[in-house]
Amino acid sequence: MSEQRHVTIVMIEDDEGHARLIEKNIRRAGIANAIRHFADGTSALKHLDEAAQDHVHGPALVLLDLNLPDMSGTDILAKIKSDERLKRTPVVVLTTTDDKVEIQRCYDLGCNVYITKPVAYEAFADAIRQLGLFLSVIQVPEIES
Amino acid sequence: MAAMPALSQKLVNRLVIAAFLLGFATLVGVGVSAGLVLQRNVAYTDLVSHTYQVQDAISRFRIMTERVETARRGYLLARDPSFFAVYDEAARDLPERLERLRALTADNPRQRENVAELHNLMARQLGSIRESVTVARAGGPAVADFATDDAVIATRRIRALTEQMADAEQRLLTERDEARRDVLNDLFRTLIAAGVLLALVGAGTVWTIVRFTRDLASSRDELRRLNEGLEDEVTARTADLQRANDEIQRFAYIVSHDLRSPLVNVMGFTSELEAAVKPLSGLIEKADAEVPELVSNDARLAVREDLPEAIGFIRTSTQKMDRLINAILRLSREGRRVLTPESIDTQRMLEGIADSLKHRSDAEGATIRIEPGLPNVVSDRLALEQIFSNLVENALKYLKPGRPGEIVVSGYAQHGRAVFEIQDNGRGIDAKDHERIFELFRRSGLRISPAKASVWPTCAPSATASAERCPCNPPLTRAPPSAFQCRSY
Repeated sequence: MSEQRHVTIVMIEDDEGHARLIEKNIRRAGIANAIRHFADGTSALKHLDEAAQDHVHGPALVLLDLNLPDMSGTDILAKIKSDERLKRTPVVVLTTTDDKVEIQRCYDLGCNVYITKPVAYEAFADAIRQLGLFLSVIQVPEIES
Repeated sequence: MAAMPALSQKLVNRLVIAAFLLGFATLVGVGVSAGLVLQRNVAYTDLVSHTYQVQDAISRFRIMTERVETARRGYLLARDPSFFAVYDEAARDLPERLERLRALTADNPRQRENVAELHNLMARQLGSIRESVTVARAGGPAVADFATDDAVIATRRIRALTEQMADAEQRLLTERDEARRDVLNDLFRTLIAAGVLLALVGAGTVWTIVRFTRDLASSRDELRRLNEGLEDEVTARTADLQRANDEIQRFAYIVSHDLRSPLVNVMGFTSELEAAVKPLSGLIEKADAEVPELVSNDARLAVREDLPEAIGFIRTSTQKMDRLINAILRLSREGRRVLTPESIDTQRMLEGIADSLKHRSDAEGATIRIEPGLPNVVSDRLALEQIFSNLVENALKYLKPGRPGEIVVSGYAQHGRAVFEIQDNGRGIDAKDHERIFELFRRSGLRISPAKASVWPTCAPSATASAERCPCNPPLTRAPPSAFQCRSY
């Protein structure tokens, strides 16, 4: 468990409310990892790039929303998965889109988990808590140099 | 062709009719003038033959006068008694011949005068012949000198006169012949003129018709060109429409997703609020029990009633909104589905739908009857099935309470289209709602049994893509048939 404390959760989510709800529910699930929140793709990618270069941030897990203001979430996914240093970083796509084609595309690009945000809050909270359980057992690799 | 003004159908008709009339008139004219010419020709021929008769009569008369003179000389020289027979014949014959000549020349005053002169000469000749013969018989001297003999003089004068008459007749003959030839020439000229006229009319008619036909051909080509242009335009517009439609569907898709996002927040934070109310109301209760003066009525009311009520309203509204967004999402998905036309046995399809709804119709006490002879169509099976089952299902949903439901599905082919009618004896649709019920999320009147939020969203894109809706014709009192048409390809 102690190792997991070092895993940083990088949340890329433009909606402040969603970000807050996700964080709340992750905490409720007993996950105490640091959460870095980015509201746009550019700064998130910059952070991931710096982390890979400096070795200071340790391993990471990416929570990704597909609808972002500056770029499409799938673009970010493609960039992460095509980067030699970042490609083993687990990516959880957490978005409102439940379109089959979109889901398939994300898995094709290398997304590890795809979760649709349900509008019903109980289901939403439940999904996040499930994710929390998942995060508590997952082994995340170090970001390679 | 551009230089020539196009001939109108009316003008061409007029020209052709005028040409025909002119042609007929020419033919009639030719006939009449030929008849007239023939008549005149006959008249001239009569006149010519008359002249011949006159000539004949003249020469006969002259021959007889010569004969009687010759016979006299014969008698005077040889005392030939056959003279008397000749003389008697001449005396009998000459007046007759002269009479005939007179009759023949009755129309010619000049010849009549001559005939009168001939008459006198004849009398003189015959008289002096008889006299000379009587003298000779009595043994008197024969004619002293033939040169001064009266009979000879008379005979000579008769000869001269008849020659003169014959000449006159000859002249007449020539004149009449010429006149007759003139008439014939006139006829020829008329015939030639008529022939030329007919040829001109014919040529004119042919020209007009050829030109008109050419005009027709060129306007047909023009029409074809326009038609092809029209098809291109239709294709272009269809493409535009398709683009616009795609745009709308994309819009619906994006909007429904974007609407979902804030809804997640509303729902989420409402739940957070609700969760926050619990410790608050616990606190109020505790304070109420321990230090009641600390809790104001307003605070109590806010935590116990106002907050739960507000949260309840927010929840139900959000849930409703979620349903609507889901319906829009479904709509945009249906619209994006690619329709695959195939041959469909509608009879079997509807019987299948009726079977699948049997459980429900039995529970409602309703019967679903599929009339035989439904027209088969080529269309998208899924879309058509959805439309049919939605319509039949709707009929089941909106039955009139207290009346056993009866749903009849019938159909027929008309003008290359298949028309299907789903008729029920339910509560009907008010005439003012006939347009409205085709709108999204709308229905007419109260719902009896729980129905989907709307049937139309799932059905509309398919219906507009493969079929077209059709007015609900009969008014409220009778059954409201939801009819729709489907192109049978």
